[in-house]
Amino acid sequence: MISPQVLNEWYPVGMIAQVGPWPGRLTGLLGAPVVIFTTGQGAIVVQSARGVPLAVTLAYGHVWACPGTPAHALFALPEATQPGRRLVDCGVVRVKCSPLRAVENFLDIAHFPFVHTDILGAEPHTEVNRYEVQIREEVDEVWATKVHFYQPQAAKSAAGGIVTDYMYRVAAPTAAVLYKTCPNRTDEWDVIGIFVQPLTEELCDVYPYMALFDDVTPLAELIHFQQMIFLQDRSILENQIPRLLPLDPGMEIPTQADLTSVAYRRWLKRRGLTYGAQRVAA
Amino acid sequence: MTGNWVANGLSQDLPAHGVMPGQWQGTDLAIWRAGSGRVSAWKDRCPHRGMRLSHGFVRGETLACIYHGWVYGTDGTCRHIPAHPAMQPPASIRAESFQVREQDGLIWVGPATAANAPPAVEGMVAVRSITVLATHEEVAAAAPELTATAPECLRGAVVAGPAAVDLCLVLQPKAGATVVHALAGAGADLVAASRWLETLRRTVESGVAA
Repeated sequence: MISPQVLNEWYPVGMIAQVGPWPGRLTGLLGAPVVIFTTGQGAIVVQSARGVPLAVTLAYGHVWACPGTPAHALFALPEATQPGRRLVDCGVVRVKCSPLRAVENFLDIAHFPFVHTDILGAEPHTEVNRYEVQIREEVDEVWATKVHFYQPQAAKSAAGGIVTDYMYRVAAPTAAVLYKTCPNRTDEWDVIGIFVQPLTEELCDVYPYMALFDDVTPLAELIHFQQMIFLQDRSILENQIPRLLPLDPGMEIPTQADLTSVAYRRWLKRRGLTYGAQRVAA
Repeated sequence: MTGNWVANGLSQDLPAHGVMPGQWQGTDLAIWRAGSGRVSAWKDRCPHRGMRLSHGFVRGETLACIYHGWVYGTDGTCRHIPAHPAMQPPASIRAESFQVREQDGLIWVGPATAANAPPAVEGMVAVRSITVLATHEEVAAAAPELTATAPECLRGAVVAGPAAVDLCLVLQPKAGATVVHALAGAGADLVAASRWLETLRRTVESGVAA
């Protein structure tokens, strides 16, 4: 039995560019099959196995669906329509893990030197300094700001090592966005997101997404860079025990570097967004 | 009574600075050898974020988790958290340790409380380990020339190649399979012994499939 809190949220179910006419594409959402197709009029429909249409929002290159009654509109991402940005769909990576673990890993910086060695981090530059985390009640999002980290190659367009500034944002239960130093524009942030489709509690499709100021790097290289990073993450995500994300303190041991993860877990728990989470230990 | 010791591999297959996965009665383990040669076996889970420690890396006398680089000493206590290099980790952060005995070329793992010793397999040399998709009983039934000297040890002479070879098979239960750690009498033809083991596996697995 899935709670209304979970059902009334928005989840990505595919890339807009990959939706075709009936019979369309069969996929899954929260353990149930759904089919996505375009109508003769060009509208995109997401419907259940019994033919019931789900609420749909098309945004940020992706199809978003709500299996219940939407509790609110899909989160805003103004950078997606900002002139000069390149929007890059990076395809999809299927991961045998909880969708919540995939989001939590995206929010984590301390793993950069060990998982994305010599790209997003490198020893001995492992220290994570204190940063600020808040739950912004007015938008009901988790934000981490003033995050700084040394990176040997922060982006495809970065020539060498730089201290990168980050902001992290949990915009939906299974969608997160980060804002990081743009190597080409000191007055702007590069925007990278992951939109996670919860197929089941222990299986998800992850869609990386980028909105960058980079007119030079070929598209294939941008996608390859992001896919390489995410495949490195997958080797972690498929080997965490348990698969489900523990929400209760005691199962896992956070430190100050994990404040974003702590806030994310607290936010999920408080809002009853426990699909993919480990229930309270007996 | 040999207690709760489970053979988890041959010593020769775990070099210094190596890590491998293991199992003890259904619990997944990370088994690793420090630079000094000492072997440790822990529950295969970093207490920080649940990552398998068997994916970690060894430096000197420590094993580090591959996820965030948390460093653990041979006693299982966390020594260093790279995200907070100046901080002394609380003593409560530790990997759950099992006992390890290296004996007769085998790596034995037992619970921290085990007071007895693993069964002795003296005077033999390691051949190899081989995984057979069958139960302990099916493996034993396929080698009637061997007799059980301990619940997990089968020993006897087999015809391997041109000559008889004194063999000891130490059986390790594993999900859906049995790992056979084989040792042979000194001076045995190890290649012939290895081929005999492959034949045993084929025989058992074709019997299981039929």
